[in-house]
Amino acid sequence: MSSNKTSRIGEETRVDKVNAELVTLTYGTIVAQLCQDYDSNYQDVNKQLEKMGYNIGMRLIEDFLAKSGVGRCANFRDTADMIAKVGFKIFLNVTPTVTNWTSDNTQFSLIFEENPLADFVELPDDGRAQDELWFSNILCGVLRGALEMVQMQIEAHFVSDVLRGDDTTEMRVSLVRYIEDEMPPEEE
Amino acid sequence: MYNLEFENTIMFLNYTIALSDLGTLSNMGVFSLIIINKAGGLIYQREFQAGLRKLSTNDYLVLAGTFHGVHAITRSITPKIPSVQPPSPATSSPSTTTPAASHSYPNPGVPVTGLDYLETDKFRLTCFQTLTGTKFLLFTDPLTGNVDTIVQKIYELYADFVMKNPFYQIEMPVRCEAFDRHLGAWLRGRT
Amino acid sequence: MAAPPRHATMLSISNGDKPAQTQAQSQQGTLPQSPGLRVPSNRKTIYDRHLNRSRNAESSRASFAFLFGEMVTYAQRRVTGIQDLEKRLNEQGYPLGLRLLDLLFYRSTSTSSSALSSSSTSSSPPNRPLRIITLLHLIHGPLWRLLFGRAADALEHSVSPDTPNEYMITDNDPLVNTYISVPREMSMLNCAAFVAGIIEGVCDGCGFETKVSAHNQPTDLWPSRTVFLVRFGDAVMEREKVLERSGVK
Repeated sequence: MSSNKTSRIGEETRVDKVNAELVTLTYGTIVAQLCQDYDSNYQDVNKQLEKMGYNIGMRLIEDFLAKSGVGRCANFRDTADMIAKVGFKIFLNVTPTVTNWTSDNTQFSLIFEENPLADFVELPDDGRAQDELWFSNILCGVLRGALEMVQMQIEAHFVSDVLRGDDTTEMRVSLVRYIEDEMPPEEE
Repeated sequence: MYNLEFENTIMFLNYTIALSDLGTLSNMGVFSLIIINKAGGLIYQREFQAGLRKLSTNDYLVLAGTFHGVHAITRSITPKIPSVQPPSPATSSPSTTTPAASHSYPNPGVPVTGLDYLETDKFRLTCFQTLTGTKFLLFTDPLTGNVDTIVQKIYELYADFVMKNPFYQIEMPVRCEAFDRHLGAWLRGRT
Repeated sequence: MAAPPRHATMLSISNGDKPAQTQAQSQQGTLPQSPGLRVPSNRKTIYDRHLNRSRNAESSRASFAFLFGEMVTYAQRRVTGIQDLEKRLNEQGYPLGLRLLDLLFYRSTSTSSSALSSSSTSSSPPNRPLRIITLLHLIHGPLWRLLFGRAADALEHSVSPDTPNEYMITDNDPLVNTYISVPREMSMLNCAAFVAGIIEGVCDGCGFETKVSAHNQPTDLWPSRTVFLVRFGDAVMEREKVLERSGVK
């Protein structure tokens, strides 16, 4: 699928809206609650956020498919485009840049110019949060859950975040493997 | 000339009568819906017309499982045609050429689907499988049009009122009052 | 009258000891940022970007539904029953109410003047409600519009002489419950307890100690109609009488 066509699907898919600040503040309270529940053990918070994202991803993929009406991607490059231009566009109204591909086309980066989840956010000034907490880690889980449901095992993690004082917010996504479906092997 | 026109009118009348019969059946001839999870388990079953004879729960479970299997078989028996082996340095040695590599599906760009629909004189069963492997089976009157649109809308309602319900557990039977309500209202609204 | 609001129950959500509102105010004040935090060289920080930037921004309702749903699922794993679950959802909404209150005041005071000059006066917002009715109108109108894009559907005072401290805010179709079907065995549960917590945060932030709960009151037309029962504390009712006598509006 051409990149332009992908953008158009992202633009044209009909989406019910809410105030963006409601989403931002709700996510903020979730992260804050986890920091409290896990006693500011940020590694555990990252893990729990990823897990929550995974649960969301497994459900969100159906919404994505039902509302966008897109079909299966031909390759991982198409998938990356679909995530950035349709997925993020529909669900967060942003379009991260897809870049830094490895030569075998199995790893790429998403660079976020804007991140609605992190609006109004400053990490706790405790000397640790900026080194340990990945505030938007839920997004890694969402990608993992959503792609697993369409037979792709991936790994995703943040490598930088403006909340940590970095100049960009970047997520690294790697294809681990395509998951075989329920079909028996077709031939030898 | 005159007779021919007359006959056309009769046919047209018959056709409208048939349509209005359907209308009184309500829901534009949509009889019932079944949803099957990835593993072939029945997770939802509902009739849309009052008084429709029900199968037993066990029959529905068997139907779901059987259809799931048949669906998989129809995928695996999709004929493969010999494909022209693109010459490449890697396959220059004859021993590396396997029979598997020399066959492919017609029109390889289009993914292989399983059974899309079954039809008898009395009803039509349309199967829509999502990319995640969930199947929506819609039983309709054979004359019902726009079945694809109906199934698509059902998928959207499923995404909204099943997937976004925190009390629904994935792959488990669907018991979501809001899904039932919106589905029923939407189908009624179509008539 | 301009005494700082006292919070009966203060739940600080970011780092334990400092009350959330004091913290929010100090952020809006003159201190640009804590010296301990690193900032990006392009200075894309909360201090450099306009607070109204996202005022009219929209996001998908689905994203909210998934986040809220996951919040409910997470809360469910750590509770003993329906009441406990509602309490936890209430607690998650509470800090949101405190923060929204600041945002509401900021937006209602700042006009076209610069953000800095208006936010520096945030220690005594001119229009903090002093009377119950003003407060409830703030919730029913501006707060509801900020969160849900429309006013709430009804605002009523208890008719019983035994409970003059009880008010009801009705939402015919709460946004947070749009996609939720509560299982039959939990039929008493209303996940809008989260919104009840938001209301409680707003009231507390204004200095009105209160308890807010969400109740199912379905009608044929509005199956998820919800009534938020607002119960003000005795101290609030006492003060209300004094203010009434001295003619404060």
